[in-house]
Amino acid sequence: MAEIVGIFGVSHTPVMTNMPDAPGAAIRDAVFEAFRRVGKEIAALTPDILLLVSNDHLHNFFIDNLPAFCIGAGDSYDSPLEGWLKVNRREVPGHAAFGAHLIESAFDAGFDPAFSMELILDHAMVTPLELAGVAGAFPIVPIYVNCVQPPLPRMKRCFEFGRALRDGIERYSGARRVAMLATGGLSHDVGTPRMGCINEDFDRRFLRLLDDGDPDKLARFLQVEVNTAGNGAEEVRNWLVAHGAAANCQFELYHYQPVPEWYTGIGVGQWTRR
Amino acid sequence: MTENWVSAIPSAEAHVIDRILYDVQHDREEEKRYFADPRAFIAGFPALSLRAAEALAANDIGRLYLLGANPYLLRAYCLQLRVPEQEYLAALRAVAGKTIDG
Repeated sequence: MAEIVGIFGVSHTPVMTNMPDAPGAAIRDAVFEAFRRVGKEIAALTPDILLLVSNDHLHNFFIDNLPAFCIGAGDSYDSPLEGWLKVNRREVPGHAAFGAHLIESAFDAGFDPAFSMELILDHAMVTPLELAGVAGAFPIVPIYVNCVQPPLPRMKRCFEFGRALRDGIERYSGARRVAMLATGGLSHDVGTPRMGCINEDFDRRFLRLLDDGDPDKLARFLQVEVNTAGNGAEEVRNWLVAHGAAANCQFELYHYQPVPEWYTGIGVGQWTRR
Repeated sequence: MTENWVSAIPSAEAHVIDRILYDVQHDREEEKRYFADPRAFIAGFPALSLRAAEALAANDIGRLYLLGANPYLLRAYCLQLRVPEQEYLAALRAVAGKTIDG
């Protein structure tokens, strides 16, 4: 049966690749080094499959039919979706059988995710993969959480979805080693009057609570306080999915830096065994 | 507390704005049609409110935000229109604390 060999969380923002130099060399280099560290550690784990947990930005999905959760079951995924994103076009291999298994196991666990076999990866998945140096290195299964258009799935539900994913992963016999990378947040605003503001206090409290061991407390904090941290902070749902999959692991923060020039509080870390 | 979103679910008015922003971004033919004559393109959406049509025709970013246009669609649309970044940010900041009604 498969086991989860590593779970990582990173922020994503297209400006990291579109305007890499905006915050100055020292900040840029420290952030990029943290991403490279994640990439090296994922590679060292030699995963058979890399699960990506993130959100679409109203490209693959529109408000004519917008899933709270969606699991990819394609053989491959084109990228990047945004023509303006300054990264090379790439076909990323998928793992259709594992995607299908996770859909079925989610149904068994009382979740009803949508599925798709025609997803194009946007910056949410592409930018972290590229910065980590692992784009295309492993077959992926992309998992989407709606973080960009209310009504949004509740924070607690995202944690529980992650827990269900873990059960599904551990019941899969078609691969042995599965790694997970969740991307999004931390505090930031996109397309609002607060764009450029970062709530460092929110970010640090969130990162501390990841290590606190009380998921209900974390979910309650996020459900209310996310409104102080910007619409982009809604993407902490992706981290919550990872947190649920991480079971009783502790969270080790590799790097945190508020980067107003990139409009975003940048966090990078890994869940590790206690 | 400031909320992250203008509304808890898109209004019918915002939905039409979002449909236009989405189509212009994702359909190359629609994009061409829009850039050839934005006002004629907008006129092709009779369900669009007059104030939303005016805001779109004038690229009134702050007003489109207040009308409930999805901020991510609006962001991508402004990138597509090559609105200068500082102009884009200033337009949003100018409506801080306001609602569509004032």
